[in-house]
Amino acid sequence: MSATASEKEILNGDEIRRAITRIAHEIAERNEGVQQVLLVGIRRRGVPLASRIAAVLSNVEGVQVPVGELDITLYRDDLTLRATVPLVRTTRIDTDVTDRVVILVDDVLYTGRTVRAALDALVDLGRPARIQLAVLVDRGHRELPIRADFVGKNVPTSRDEVVEVRLSEVDAGEDRVLIAHSTR
Amino acid sequence: MTLPEPIRPTRRHVLDLDDFTRHEIETLLDTAVGMKEILSREIAQVPTLRGVSVVNMFYEDSTRTRISFELAAKALSANVVNFAARGSSVEKGESLLDTMRTLQALGADILVLRHSYAGTAHLLAQHFRGAIINAGDGSHAHPTQALLDLFTLRDKLGTLERRHIVIVGDILHSRVARSNLWGLTAMGAHVTLCAPPTLLGNEQFWLDTWPDLRIVYSLDAALQDADAVIVLRLQRERQEAGLLPSLREYAQFFALSQARLQAALTGMLVLHPGPLNEGVEIAPDVAVSAQSVIEEQVTNGVAVRMALLYHLALHLRQKGA
Amino acid sequence: MRYLITHGMIIDPSQRVATIGHVLIENGKVARMYEMTDRLPDADQDLVIIDAHGCLITPGFTDLHVHLREPGEEHKETIATGTHAAARGGFTTICAMPNTRPAYDTPAVVRQVRQMARDASAVQVEVIGAATAGRQGRTLSEMANLVEAGCIAFSDDGSPISDPAVMRNALAYSRMLDVPIMSHCEDTRLNAGWAMHEGAVSMRLGLPGYPAAAEEVQIARDIHLAAMTGGHLHVCHVSTAGGVELIRHARQRGIRVTAEVSPHHLTLTDRWVLGTLDSPPSAAQGSLTQRLDQYSHVYAAGMQSMRQSADLPLPAWFNPTLLPPFDPSTRVSPPLRTEADVEALIAGLADGTLDAIATDHAPHALVDKQCEYGLAACGISGLETALGLVLTLVHRGALDMLNAIACLTEGPARVLKRTPSSLRIGTQADLVIIDPDQQWIVDVNQFVSKGKNSPLHGQRLKGRVMLTMVSGQIVYQEPGFGMTPRVTPVASRLEGILNTDDDDA
Repeated sequence: MSATASEKEILNGDEIRRAITRIAHEIAERNEGVQQVLLVGIRRRGVPLASRIAAVLSNVEGVQVPVGELDITLYRDDLTLRATVPLVRTTRIDTDVTDRVVILVDDVLYTGRTVRAALDALVDLGRPARIQLAVLVDRGHRELPIRADFVGKNVPTSRDEVVEVRLSEVDAGEDRVLIAHSTR
Repeated sequence: MTLPEPIRPTRRHVLDLDDFTRHEIETLLDTAVGMKEILSREIAQVPTLRGVSVVNMFYEDSTRTRISFELAAKALSANVVNFAARGSSVEKGESLLDTMRTLQALGADILVLRHSYAGTAHLLAQHFRGAIINAGDGSHAHPTQALLDLFTLRDKLGTLERRHIVIVGDILHSRVARSNLWGLTAMGAHVTLCAPPTLLGNEQFWLDTWPDLRIVYSLDAALQDADAVIVLRLQRERQEAGLLPSLREYAQFFALSQARLQAALTGMLVLHPGPLNEGVEIAPDVAVSAQSVIEEQVTNGVAVRMALLYHLALHLRQKGA
Repeated sequence: MRYLITHGMIIDPSQRVATIGHVLIENGKVARMYEMTDRLPDADQDLVIIDAHGCLITPGFTDLHVHLREPGEEHKETIATGTHAAARGGFTTICAMPNTRPAYDTPAVVRQVRQMARDASAVQVEVIGAATAGRQGRTLSEMANLVEAGCIAFSDDGSPISDPAVMRNALAYSRMLDVPIMSHCEDTRLNAGWAMHEGAVSMRLGLPGYPAAAEEVQIARDIHLAAMTGGHLHVCHVSTAGGVELIRHARQRGIRVTAEVSPHHLTLTDRWVLGTLDSPPSAAQGSLTQRLDQYSHVYAAGMQSMRQSADLPLPAWFNPTLLPPFDPSTRVSPPLRTEADVEALIAGLADGTLDAIATDHAPHALVDKQCEYGLAACGISGLETALGLVLTLVHRGALDMLNAIACLTEGPARVLKRTPSSLRIGTQADLVIIDPDQQWIVDVNQFVSKGKNSPLHGQRLKGRVMLTMVSGQIVYQEPGFGMTPRVTPVASRLEGILNTDDDDA
């Protein structure tokens, strides 16, 4: 919870809803339907986003797309660099990932390291036919050769800025995405 | 934000549960939930502790505990070496500290120690640069067993707050009982001890450390309103040492029989640290009854040990970094 | 060489004297006492002046119970190192226990040890013979021969005499020699496999216990055997309240029983085995001072005879949490007991039930101690901390100074039926100069003794031996002590040293 000097809203609740709807449509279009699709949210905020995408797909396509939750803590490459021990949460994917089209869902794409860990975690669970990546915000500054297949909004940022996604399922208050200068 | 506070990795060793707060225990048990999911996978292994060396230093035979630690370390991709030595260091003519220093020089990061003398884990912790996990020292402590008991109980009962747990058997010589007393008390449970006086010792001595304990000699009385009972193993040597008139009489008055199970609350859980002496402290049909969670304890043991290894290894690494 | 010790507080329990003055030592004897107003002898080249401003001058101490380890275990201690440690502790006579290899159980060994002591020793060494051959507890040693060779008492210390018939015979036979049987009272069937005192702490730590009763039943047995035989029973290192009570009762009945207690049993408890575990997690975050306070409270509660002292020493009591849990330096036989036992032992000293303070100095090599708690060798290297511990009791008001000094001088002499060391004119100048107020931190690495095994490492003690003299020869002197005039005011501090209410003379 970094203290912020100045906050700017880059997406409000409506804009988030529209971005999710658009991503859902793109997923259906790219994969010619959603029969094989499995949505996997990366804990924590990827999980409600995945559920929202699934809800849209259910409306649009009339298909209940399964949703899983992926905890990538044990696959992180920065475990020894942190001051606190990250809490290990549970991975919960009831559908076999093998031969599925897995859509990894996360809130913000930044260095790409979280996605790298998620890919490792995912392939330990089976052999998906394809893995695609959906993110609400892509803020640049990749450190690994990773790109998103579906992006809600591209936001140019500097490294000393913080992008904060607030979702009503997890956070108190309304949906919004903020950008702020870190004072640290 | 409803996220629980992440724990600062300040814990170096796990020697007993006497220095654990409830928050720390809860965090470990939460971590173990995630670890248990990994164990259920087809590929039950994650890369987290690659390059970490764990040495199982067992001065007392315990295949179960050793295998549990070994599987836990391997599931986290740590290197595991087993060092087994029988008898005390003095009998071997090699000092325990000397052996420890050798293992340290060979690059051991975490020592898992099982020893028949109380206090040996504390001794090594004074001198070892890495982390010590006490896997049972004499009659003193067995913190990982207690943690897996807590995990199992919390899993089944939802919470331990104000739950009534009975520990029955050879409490005087039981490290499992002592570590569970710390853990259960920290978690807010009510504990009753039940044993014949020769296997319990002076009641006041227990109450001096754990003032809220209840101590009774009648197992039937103890089991009234119990949410769970932890049945301890009875070593046959106790009878030979004259602490019991006969195993038959012990079984009659202190074994968890089918009749006692029937008389207890429906759904009262049955735990046992193993290995079982069926027909002595527990009836065979009780051990495999629907209320028995003895097998689950074994699985949970691996998950809990993974959680501990994860926390200790990260702390070591972070200090080294 | 002549010595003039000036401006000291002279305390001599044998004369019940406590005064300020000067002492002249000539030809190895106490030659003269001067009052403050007396004219001092003129300085000359032969006269060494030792300024003892603010210090006590007392007769040299006698230690009834020392393990010198020689012959057989010279890596733990030798006669030379042990006696120098004794000198540093203020002891001018020490009695060596026979649990050596070989044991002091033949006249040849005893003569040899006495000869070695004459050659190498800083202080006077008396030899305690083994009560049974090879300390096996089966047949009596040749006691009459051993007394001729110089033994002053008999003991199988370290190993109790289990067979009551053997104990009966030892007490009966020694009667004709008029020497005490020093009994290590322990029923080993009641404490098999023991690691520490059986109590709340052993229960918590899961360590096998040594119940108080294992000592008490043996003391009771030996008292009855002493009553039956008329022999002189000396109970070594009493550690339990029940033991004190048995001895008190026996003495009231006129049975020939004497007893000693060690400085550590008078001051430390089984909680020391807990070490850092002794503070609950919440208090562990508190400051060191808070933890000390917590301690002083625990101990003070047990001290019924507390007399409020105007200047309580800075550390109200010691701090066991300097030690890690299960520290083998706390393992000693008999084990450290409870606060209630400590209280009873102090009361026993105060009312004369216990005759003497004896160190049970038991030096060990590091390797014998750095191991599993239950396997660690028993014993504390105690000669060099004895006075500091005893004075802690005085500073806390639990014991008065004259009594404390008497337990180190007169008391042991009474056990050995000897004339106590004294500052009477014309007696051999065995004396000690003590700074009762000097605070110092125990550092086992500075011990003269080879045995660095002490749970007191790092503790602050108040009271220190500054100089020890045997037969008019300085055998120990704190570097620089007495050479430059000291300026501490003296007169007011003499008050309270002699507690006249308590005077049973």
